[in-house]
Amino acid sequence: MTLLRRYGTLLALALIIAVFAVASPGAFGSMANLVNITQQMSLLAIVAIGATLVMVVGEFDLSVSAVVSFAGIAAVSLFGAGFSIASVFALVLVTALAMGTVSGLLVARFAVPSFIATLAFGTIIGGLTFWISDGATLFSGIPPAFRDLGRGALFGLPVPTLWLIGTAAIVWLLLDATEFGRRLYAIGGNREAARLVGLPVRRDMVIAFALSAGLAALAGLLLAARLGSAHPTGGGGYLLSAYAAVFLGMTAFREGEPSVPGTLVGAAIIAVVSNGLTILGVPSFLQDLMTGAIILAAVLVRQFGRAGD
Amino acid sequence: MRASLYALAFAGLVATASAASAVDIAVLTPYQSSVATNQMIKVFEDKARAAGWNATVVDTRGDMGQLASRIEDVTAAKVGAIVLVSVDPKQIQDQVSAAAAAGIPVVTIDGATAPGVALNVTSDNFELGTKLSDFLFDKLGHKGNIVKFYYSAHPGVHQRELALDAALKKNPDIKVIAEHYMVVPGPIDDARKTTEDLLKSQGDQIDAVWAAWDEPAIGAELAIEADKPDSKIIIAGIDGNPQAVELIKSCSHIKGTVSQDFDAMAGLAADGLTKILAGQKPEKAELYAPAKLITPETLGVTCP
Repeated sequence: MTLLRRYGTLLALALIIAVFAVASPGAFGSMANLVNITQQMSLLAIVAIGATLVMVVGEFDLSVSAVVSFAGIAAVSLFGAGFSIASVFALVLVTALAMGTVSGLLVARFAVPSFIATLAFGTIIGGLTFWISDGATLFSGIPPAFRDLGRGALFGLPVPTLWLIGTAAIVWLLLDATEFGRRLYAIGGNREAARLVGLPVRRDMVIAFALSAGLAALAGLLLAARLGSAHPTGGGGYLLSAYAAVFLGMTAFREGEPSVPGTLVGAAIIAVVSNGLTILGVPSFLQDLMTGAIILAAVLVRQFGRAGD
Repeated sequence: MRASLYALAFAGLVATASAASAVDIAVLTPYQSSVATNQMIKVFEDKARAAGWNATVVDTRGDMGQLASRIEDVTAAKVGAIVLVSVDPKQIQDQVSAAAAAGIPVVTIDGATAPGVALNVTSDNFELGTKLSDFLFDKLGHKGNIVKFYYSAHPGVHQRELALDAALKKNPDIKVIAEHYMVVPGPIDDARKTTEDLLKSQGDQIDAVWAAWDEPAIGAELAIEADKPDSKIIIAGIDGNPQAVELIKSCSHIKGTVSQDFDAMAGLAADGLTKILAGQKPEKAELYAPAKLITPETLGVTCP
């Protein structure tokens, strides 16, 4: 029971993988497919890790999907204007950090509820994206070297997986091994107490929002590289999935706290379920029913474990 | 949990068992909620059943990243063929190329030609846009103000917009006084709300609504019927959507739709796929289904 309580969500992931592997040993259980799942979950996980930072301080960032779309469109537009890959990366990421800073200021400095501030600012970013792209999917002018940043493999691992490993390691270290990370958890635990002991609450919250937007932009750049195109609503699917991953992750490892390992498990559950059900030939309406049921079941496994306390 | 897992395992076993007896065809689209896309999928499913294929439909609700992942999944599952509906394969070129390299034929319906695509069946969207524009401009006497509802992200729908641009150049007295990029999914409601707003701000100036497909036309009709039922605004769209045809029949403000023969498109795709699975090549890499204009007159209705 202790094992179930402590690692219930992780066990649920292992069970889901085991069931799919039994049902489809050739296709799902192949090493190539399992490696491919890490690629498929990578962009969602990067967005979700950014959302984790904001959730650690007890807030939400609903603009992440708009930033994902913006980053792809902005990058392809800049390539069309003759910018190099390095300058496009720098310009897009700095712009996204600035966008996150604005969201953070609205929430931390002007006390606008994060739901409203980021929803409104995300809508503005969405409008900007449509303005830049004229609503069209952008293809042309993408350098082949940029595409290589979102596809192919290095050291036997897909490139997007390597981006995820790097991002997860850095943010995990930032949250768990630095004073900044501990401050974020302190702010999320009790903001007023954190302020009274002299922590720079506003500044740290703004940084959390900026990093969230920066990671969403990184995912947007990698999505454009992976697809070789940028769609003005290309990030639309990431918002709910990213928060589902964070919430699933909150049931793993730590007592109800967002964490990078937890978010990775959450993103993995979402990716494995989608991949496995598609390989088994389950139609999409049944996939929706089963995905919801499996996510609920994964959380319930953990809750049953707790009931044993 | 245990029950869910049993259910999951059962679903998997059923799918695996059925896969053993028929060719698996993966039908993938980001736009299944669109009436036209849905119709093509339904007709293709019927054709697949008749051919003894096991067709599975996956919809990613406008999410291209998900679509790329799901194509990778069905490629890993070694399906017999992949059918993409209402999507430009260039938007997911790597995955299409990987499927083709794995020996899986890729057929697109209402898509486009691209490397790795064995057959694309579509309508000539530029011609559809030209027919719509010419019809509307003739109705206006080549003079008036129009509202444009468009969606450039879909390659076929974008071609219709380019056809409008070409027609506008030939008709300098036709002015676009408002244009709106459609929200998809949910174009009917989006068009209804936008038209309500436009009727309030520029209602007296609008002579016609040019809708890149029928769902925005239906939304515009709902708004006009509610707010200005006696206005002389003319609406026209593309697709031959059954709801739009009914509205034309009932003498609403929708006066025309350029009908795409979706049944024929899905049928041509199924025929082409049959040849491909038999090891033959389709006659051409791209086939066009015919289009026709539907008006009250062609439906035998006399409107006041």
